[in-house]
Amino acid sequence: MASLLWFQGGACSGNTMSFLNAEEPSACDLVTDFGINVLWHPSLGLEMGDNAKRVFNDCASGKTPLDIFVFEGTVIQGPSGTGRFNMFADRPMKDWVKEMCAQAGAVVALGDCACWGGIPATEPNPVDNVGLQYLKRKHGGFLGEDFRSKWGLPVINIPGCPAHPDWVTQILVAIASGRAGDIALDELQRPQTFFKTFTQTGCTRVQFFEYKQSPVEFGQGTRTGCLFYEFGCRGPMTHSPCNRILWNRQSSKTRAGMPCTGCTEPEFPFHDLKPGTVFKTQKISGVIPKEIPNGTDHVTYMAQAAAARIAAPKWAKEDMFVV
Amino acid sequence: MATVMEGQDMRISPLGRVEGDLDLRVSIRDGVVTDAWTEASMFRGFEIILKGKDPQAGLIVTPRICGICGGSHLYKAAYALDTAWKTHVPQNATLIRNIAQACETLQSIPRWFYALFAIDLTNKNYAKLPEYDECVRRFAPFVGTSYEKGVTLSGKPVEVYAMFGGQWPHSSFMIPGGVMCAPTLSEVTRAIAILDYWKREWLETTWLGCSIERWLENKTWADVLTWCDENEAQHNSDCGLFVRFALRAGLDKFGQGYGSYLATGTYFQPELYENPTVDGRNAALIGRSGVYDGSQFHDFDHMNVREDTAHSFYRGETSLHPWEGRTEPIDPLEGHKQGKYSWAKSPRYLVPGKGSSVPLETGPLSRQVIAGRAATAAHQDYDPLFLDAIKTVGPSVLVRVMARMHEACKYYKLTRGWLDAVKLHENFYTKPVELAEGRGFGSTEAARGSLSDWIVLKDNKIENYQVVTPTAWNIGPRDNSGAIGPMEKAFIGAQIVDPTDPVEMGHVARSFDSCLVCTVHAYDEKTGRELSRFRIGEGS
Repeated sequence: MASLLWFQGGACSGNTMSFLNAEEPSACDLVTDFGINVLWHPSLGLEMGDNAKRVFNDCASGKTPLDIFVFEGTVIQGPSGTGRFNMFADRPMKDWVKEMCAQAGAVVALGDCACWGGIPATEPNPVDNVGLQYLKRKHGGFLGEDFRSKWGLPVINIPGCPAHPDWVTQILVAIASGRAGDIALDELQRPQTFFKTFTQTGCTRVQFFEYKQSPVEFGQGTRTGCLFYEFGCRGPMTHSPCNRILWNRQSSKTRAGMPCTGCTEPEFPFHDLKPGTVFKTQKISGVIPKEIPNGTDHVTYMAQAAAARIAAPKWAKEDMFVV
Repeated sequence: MATVMEGQDMRISPLGRVEGDLDLRVSIRDGVVTDAWTEASMFRGFEIILKGKDPQAGLIVTPRICGICGGSHLYKAAYALDTAWKTHVPQNATLIRNIAQACETLQSIPRWFYALFAIDLTNKNYAKLPEYDECVRRFAPFVGTSYEKGVTLSGKPVEVYAMFGGQWPHSSFMIPGGVMCAPTLSEVTRAIAILDYWKREWLETTWLGCSIERWLENKTWADVLTWCDENEAQHNSDCGLFVRFALRAGLDKFGQGYGSYLATGTYFQPELYENPTVDGRNAALIGRSGVYDGSQFHDFDHMNVREDTAHSFYRGETSLHPWEGRTEPIDPLEGHKQGKYSWAKSPRYLVPGKGSSVPLETGPLSRQVIAGRAATAAHQDYDPLFLDAIKTVGPSVLVRVMARMHEACKYYKLTRGWLDAVKLHENFYTKPVELAEGRGFGSTEAARGSLSDWIVLKDNKIENYQVVTPTAWNIGPRDNSGAIGPMEKAFIGAQIVDPTDPVEMGHVARSFDSCLVCTVHAYDEKTGRELSRFRIGEGS
């Protein structure tokens, strides 16, 4: 039995909605089969009023042992550090967050906003958003880089906009079953079991990537080709299992013809959405992709690309995903 | 001890313009609500972020305003750009957009009913009702038989969304000129199978106890009541149980609101909207737009929309058309001194002949009332059921809920038809010319009501972007004429049986499916004493 409290700060509820799509296990299974005791959740909590407030205060004071604190959304610090842009149960949400994090056995930042600020922290970051332990890639965030939960863990970041339900349910089950120590984290405190691989790992377009073949346009154009060259796809530079653990059990954005926007990385939305950057690959001299797959350099990349284009078989230029 | 004045200063619970928490303060005299203030209390500033950005930034940013209706945000954001860039949208693309958005709503209907609304039927205040034990057995959170089924199966329709959009929530696959995908036969076949599974396992067996065709034979409110007792399957279905419970508990007696409604409409007839324009929009809609002012219908004209900030935490007391709209937040502490009390702006509409702009309710009930207007073209949805309901028994919590559930049958049927109409060998996208300047308007009906974007482009970037959400229409505060918002109005007149547990307020707020977690402050009007404070809401 593990107790869990879930709050939303500067949130869209997208991670909760994604979580409710879970099937194996489902949200209900977590309660009935895995013994997770949901103390309160903004969409699912039964307690109201004084009862709900008692739950919060008992967690904050340590009277109710709090095993897992899940936070969704940014920590809103504005205006002028007061947190008044986001009040919750009569107090700035940021004050609740600080108290819950001090009591929790493990703290889970769910979704980009809670991990590092996400879209609300895009320039000019109007309400002074920050993630729990990062602001974009800068370590520290709301809790500070030295923060450790009661069980000695840093914030466990489950990024994504939103996070995939299986990433959430599996980590919650791991923590609840005493395996928190087994969760290896990467340098951005993401569980490596999900975030070591690339979004491109398992992408159905990877053969077109090998031979440097691009669609000419969206829609019918995406019956062939890799979206990296023209359409800004970040699949080779983004860590996620989106093409290993499919979305809604069916597909992924890249499989469906949509470029990966890199939403499991702290820089999302990339280039601060400046004019000319949306769904368009940024290039040097109008030809060479500015950003290339992790761990390669431009000289090697260009040599390999030239060879790959020469090597491209005839089928690589044909439609593959046909009716 | 809290005075009313302190009360006004007290509430700011989490919410943004569209999503988050709502605080509600009500005055009570002799057990009846006499006044109400809805206070949206979290602000993120999405419109500020969009200023100066890539013209297509709204396709990425606006779905993230709300994770619950992100597909609807994408739908209208795409049309805002289609109209600004004067694109061509192939018929297939319109079909796929329609299918995707309808599947989001099909997801929302059971998820909203079980996870957010029906939990309240297990409230101890109802323990003496004969239907109570059965409600607990079915609707108790996590463990109720229908709760578990309804919540888990609610994920099925968005599997179809993911086939075309890659994932749900938060895809950006609808783009000016069409959609990014080009489905194959396998996607269409699987989509049909998944939707049929959802219909069979939840809609017809669990919710209705009959076929959707039988349900859709109901044309009047009296038909609905007759249907409930027609046979055992219908009587004992979740729908039958809910109607019986609601009549017993009096959910047909409160939550009326103004009785005037807005729908901006949604779902385009593909061949009528290949070149989307603002002026051509109304005629191309399947789910029609319109305004019903309590006695007559009016055509919807987006130029009649105003956003009022008299009681909202923004600079000034303006009432502007969204193309001229401004979003200049102020510290709520300052705002309170000026009598402001919410982050929501107050959308209003200039109804012809009314003189000034008025508040209008939006949502499934509004859509279904507008659907009762005589149709003028074959593609338009005509459906008299809920116009009859508001004219015979009047609006209420019960009627609002039933309008929403009714749409499950209608949108399932529409979606099946659109899936059959996709021509797999034809185009899904026409590459647009990215015009440096322009103005656009895109709108749709999210599960919970009218959702619109107004965009102004200049020098290849966003000059102004304004989003008006259904939640703002419904929960917006008082305007500069003092007129209270539609949800504020709907609270008034409700009888609170137990002031320490005003579940009735929860029913009203949730019947709007507001995009918020609400906190109710109940005040005794005579003493100003705060009776209780409740989170009543829900994040959808």
